[in-house]
Amino acid sequence: MEASIGRRSSPTQPKWRKVAYGGMQPGFQDNHTDESFLEDMIMNASVVKRDLLKVMLDSVSISQYVCIVALVVLVWTYTLRSSFNENSLMLLDIILLGAGFFVFLLTAEMLSFDLLLSYVLKIFFFITGVYFLSPIYHTLTRSISSDSIWALTASLLVLHLFLHNYSGSTVKAPGALENPTFTSNISLNASIVASLLIASRLPSRLHVFAIVLFSLQVFLFAPLVSYCIKKCSFRLHLCFSFGLMAATLFFVYRLHGLLFVLLSGILVFVNLLGPYWLIRIQEYKFEINGPWDEAKLCFNITE
Amino acid sequence: MSKQEKHKILMVSDFFYPNFGGVESHIYYLSQCLIKLGHKVVVMTHAYQNRSGVRYMTGGLKVYYVPWKPFLMQNTLPTFYGTLPIIRTILIQEKISLVHGHQAFSTLCHEALMHARTMGYKVVFTDHSLYGFGDVESIHMNKVLQFTLADVTQAICVSHTSKENTVLRSGLPPEKVFVIPNAVDTAMFKPVPERLSNHEIVIVVISRLVYRKGADLLVEVIPKVCRLHPNVRFIIGGDGPKRVRLEEMREKHSLQDRVGMLGAVPHAKVQSVLITGHIFLNSSLTEAFCIAILEAASCGLLTVSTRVGGVPEVLPDDMVVLAEPDPNDMVQAITKAIHILPQIDPQEMHTRMKTLYSWHDVARRTEIVYDCALRCSSQNLLERLSRYLPCGAWAGKLFCLVMIIDFLFWRLLQLWQPDSNIEVVPDIHLTNHPRDKKSQDSNMYDHLR
Repeated sequence: MEASIGRRSSPTQPKWRKVAYGGMQPGFQDNHTDESFLEDMIMNASVVKRDLLKVMLDSVSISQYVCIVALVVLVWTYTLRSSFNENSLMLLDIILLGAGFFVFLLTAEMLSFDLLLSYVLKIFFFITGVYFLSPIYHTLTRSISSDSIWALTASLLVLHLFLHNYSGSTVKAPGALENPTFTSNISLNASIVASLLIASRLPSRLHVFAIVLFSLQVFLFAPLVSYCIKKCSFRLHLCFSFGLMAATLFFVYRLHGLLFVLLSGILVFVNLLGPYWLIRIQEYKFEINGPWDEAKLCFNITE
Repeated sequence: MSKQEKHKILMVSDFFYPNFGGVESHIYYLSQCLIKLGHKVVVMTHAYQNRSGVRYMTGGLKVYYVPWKPFLMQNTLPTFYGTLPIIRTILIQEKISLVHGHQAFSTLCHEALMHARTMGYKVVFTDHSLYGFGDVESIHMNKVLQFTLADVTQAICVSHTSKENTVLRSGLPPEKVFVIPNAVDTAMFKPVPERLSNHEIVIVVISRLVYRKGADLLVEVIPKVCRLHPNVRFIIGGDGPKRVRLEEMREKHSLQDRVGMLGAVPHAKVQSVLITGHIFLNSSLTEAFCIAILEAASCGLLTVSTRVGGVPEVLPDDMVVLAEPDPNDMVQAITKAIHILPQIDPQEMHTRMKTLYSWHDVARRTEIVYDCALRCSSQNLLERLSRYLPCGAWAGKLFCLVMIIDFLFWRLLQLWQPDSNIEVVPDIHLTNHPRDKKSQDSNMYDHLR
């Protein structure tokens, strides 16, 4: 490189240097582009090469959650049609609570009696709170027309699914590293509001209590339970997800044919088409880094 | 070359006096030196509070403070075509031959360059900052830059790193980009005649106290250095959102007598603060070119700086100690600087700076760029539109549309207010100052007092 640049009119011409001082460099114009131009540029430094199978397996978490939400909507539909009465709903609540707690206990690593007691206490307060607030929820949307409620609930559920944190859990499990993000909080709030809106359309206070308890249990604790299962064993997670998907598809088929087609379409897209598309467009990724980047601080700023 | 033609240049930017900063002083000093070389320079910027209309500065520099108020961070509201009438009037009135825009972040600059190209003038653009590629702000900024630079005649960058950055962001061919660094007014930044005693070492920091300028690094570095070297004192000039953190650091480590906070230092007083120190510390996280380092070196201070952006190109290796933007590395660099301090002679450093950087040299090199720009062939609208199409699948067509509407609007203005109706300003030659260099320099710095 040294030999090629300086050989112009005189053999003793100095080499071009990448410096700004000293005025114009003798023998070179200001727009001289040296061979070392852009040699410090680094491309695609932090891009991860993805494997199709792994992405598909990871997308199972998404479809599992979509099925859980579909099951919740199913329960709501049956309750609104008065196919479920309040006693069966209460039974469902108790079974879910018991099962979830059981799974959590089995897969939890750090367990102590104090922790257990605090959880039991919190659940007790939660249930009591919902019971006392259910009269308010019962008459909450009396003056609003039903179709506004259905439309609002549908949009809130779509928002919930879009912003949901599929990799972790908004309700922080003991031993979890990350704090919940802003968007995951929004999604949780959207789902809670949706369940309250649905609950307010029900005939009696006990209905309201049962359905609110059911919805909140699922939306608050289902991500936590599935996170615990995933952490415990990946195979168990896969079995659980596929079982859930099969059950959901079966029940939705019994409800309505079109919804069944829609749901299976969504599941196929999320599990098969989505990963393929993601990997295809990764080829176009072009990340540029170089000496012009703003330096990253290697320490945390503590206020 | 005595038969060189003299140009009439319009400098456009949102950033000019009465604001003080890198871009502002660059435009000012460059204009003054170009006037001394015999060219005519007019500056156009937006109005600052009550300062609106036409003003004259030293040497007959005419400044148009166009009555548009800034709306965000000193930028005028981008209205695309709203500035066309006033720019057309100025260009015709002053018989401008070339438009020179400054700073990618200035909306007035982009609009002026767009209208100047529509009207067939040659344009030159100078970029003063570095931008990234990943965050939302940078992506939009780069797209706007791509639009402006798709059809620029020549471009100037202030350092080689800045040239690489600009070429990547805008897709310009590298041969079109000239590297002409900034310079420093060595007559204003003089060291003290007698050397300061080395008994107590004073480290000076003058910068805006914001994240970008590395104020958080200062918070980590200062206590470490104060503990390691008991005879070191810090003076911090400047204000900003991070000032609170620095004050807290002072309280926490009880360094009130060893760290002095001066608050915002007006530009005229910067030299008097610099000459009280031995070492200048610059901790910025990104810098295309750092004029503060030049000012410090001109005052005879040894510089310690972070190795970011264009900083390694600015000073020779014996006048600066570079460190990575990591607190421990910076502490080591400061220690090294303290050790080599006895070998530094401020007067010799100042004299050397006079040979390394000079605004007259910058003006001469810029003149070469202007000559090159004016030699380029003129193109009609269709040829120019073909340069916008490669900017992007959708963006290219959008840019073409914007330029076509601009062209139509210009034709409409020509019909409504013909060129011949606009009164041309006669050339006024002010009495020239005596041609010896010493009084030239001192005249340049007198106005800033």
